[in-house]
Amino acid sequence: MSTATTSNSPGKWVVLPHYAFAALAFVALSILLLFSTDAFSGHYFHPKLLTLTHVAALGWATMLIFGALYQLLPVVLECKLYSEKLATIAFGFLGVGTILLAWCFWNFELGHVMHVAACSLVISFILLNINVIQTARLAPKWTIESDFIVTSAIWLLVTGIVGLVMVLNFTMAFLPVEHTHYLKLHAHIGMAGWFLLLIIGVGAKLIPMFLLAHAESTKKLNWSYNLINAGLVFFIFDHLFIHTSLLPVYAGLVVGGVLLFLLFIYETSKTRQRHDVDLGMKQTFVALGLLVLPIVLVFIVSSNVNLPQQLLSAVYLVYGISVFLGFISAIILGQTFKTLPFIIWMHAYEDYVGRFKTPLPKDLYNHTIQRWQNISYLLGFILLITGILLRDQQLILAGAIGFTITSLLYTANVFQLLMHKVQELKPFSYGNASV
Amino acid sequence: METQVSEDFGNEVYETLKYIIDPEVGINIVDLGLIYSVSLDGELLEIDLTLTTPGCPMSGTIVNATEQILLKRFPNLDVKVNLVWSPPWSTEMITEEGMRQLEGK
Repeated sequence: MSTATTSNSPGKWVVLPHYAFAALAFVALSILLLFSTDAFSGHYFHPKLLTLTHVAALGWATMLIFGALYQLLPVVLECKLYSEKLATIAFGFLGVGTILLAWCFWNFELGHVMHVAACSLVISFILLNINVIQTARLAPKWTIESDFIVTSAIWLLVTGIVGLVMVLNFTMAFLPVEHTHYLKLHAHIGMAGWFLLLIIGVGAKLIPMFLLAHAESTKKLNWSYNLINAGLVFFIFDHLFIHTSLLPVYAGLVVGGVLLFLLFIYETSKTRQRHDVDLGMKQTFVALGLLVLPIVLVFIVSSNVNLPQQLLSAVYLVYGISVFLGFISAIILGQTFKTLPFIIWMHAYEDYVGRFKTPLPKDLYNHTIQRWQNISYLLGFILLITGILLRDQQLILAGAIGFTITSLLYTANVFQLLMHKVQELKPFSYGNASV
Repeated sequence: METQVSEDFGNEVYETLKYIIDPEVGINIVDLGLIYSVSLDGELLEIDLTLTTPGCPMSGTIVNATEQILLKRFPNLDVKVNLVWSPPWSTEMITEEGMRQLEGK
């Protein structure tokens, strides 16, 4: 029998500040949404929409994913994180860059502060790449999940570099084609290259693990990886150099990759031994269901469909929202309560397990709040996209209120966890432990 | 589960280890099928255990907990816990009692 090593988990100060920042960014995002109901009636290149998108993509989603990744990378790659110091520095650059960029977009200040913000973000992405790639080099075996994660980090850096180029172009105007042309590139590399690949890579490992299920084969994941990357590379090449009308084909490749991942999850979940699906997993399944929306809409936005301009603008907005406030936010709302309680529990109780009767991770936060968080999220999301499609500001406001309630409930639970203190524990007397 | 000790002593060890609950699944490590073998060589009690997935962040916690609880229960013995990955854990290793708890019966 081969003997394994002990835990590879990083220190809590590497991981937890990301969760705190992300929760506060989610609140900020929701409040900004309350004051942006007038921004959804026109084009997506609008200061308020750009602010919302970047607070959602960077402050909320990327920040949380960075933190979770430092915890999960050792689980997926089965080795220690390369550098905790790099992770902490990357957190600083990501936080500063996000705040400055949000301020610049909201006030539409396109000068030096925005340059600093963009540089700060690119530095944090470079640091993440160093950490991910060096950690992957330490991994005892290479898996398809490793491919997804490492490639996603590289795409994040590409997204950041394209963003930096666009920021410089605001003041120097050196790009040959209009700004929105590159914005599409920036957005799609970020959505499919960074978020999608990363979530698939981590989800393919964690979802079966949480369900006590096992995968018969990773062939579908291999094809998922190939199709998504092929679609993305073809799209970039076409969009930059040849300008054909084949965009729906590239979108089809990415969608094919997503469907194969969903099929992998479906087939794996049929072998699950765990039938008590908790609220975190239910919300995760909601997130996977919400993928239907961008999967359908990507074919409309990538084709030259003859729709009225106003409706087309609304479809573009719903497409972006269905990714950031739909799929990505929904999966974070679910998976936060599959990861954070466990991290808090481990750091609080690892020295007590086996000597004292300890609570379980699920005992450390409020399930009623979590239930209402999930309900208000789904209601808020449905109201928001309905309001945008119908161009109804009252519905958009109702959706924003739904998101604000969600963010406050989420943040209350996250901070309850972050501030958890070990209570007085009863020592084992071989009769007082409950199963 | 492999036991290279007397039945009574083995049962005592397994009953003790049932106090350690897998924090994610909420089932004790014995019924989850994580204990591969228990052996006693003189005064050395040796346990081979595994985890549901390699790279699990719980590895250090569960190994330490197993050591701690056995040292407390059997203060006259030395305890050695080996974390092993072969054979890999699978859901078939969950006991009937574990399955009953998973199904919420």
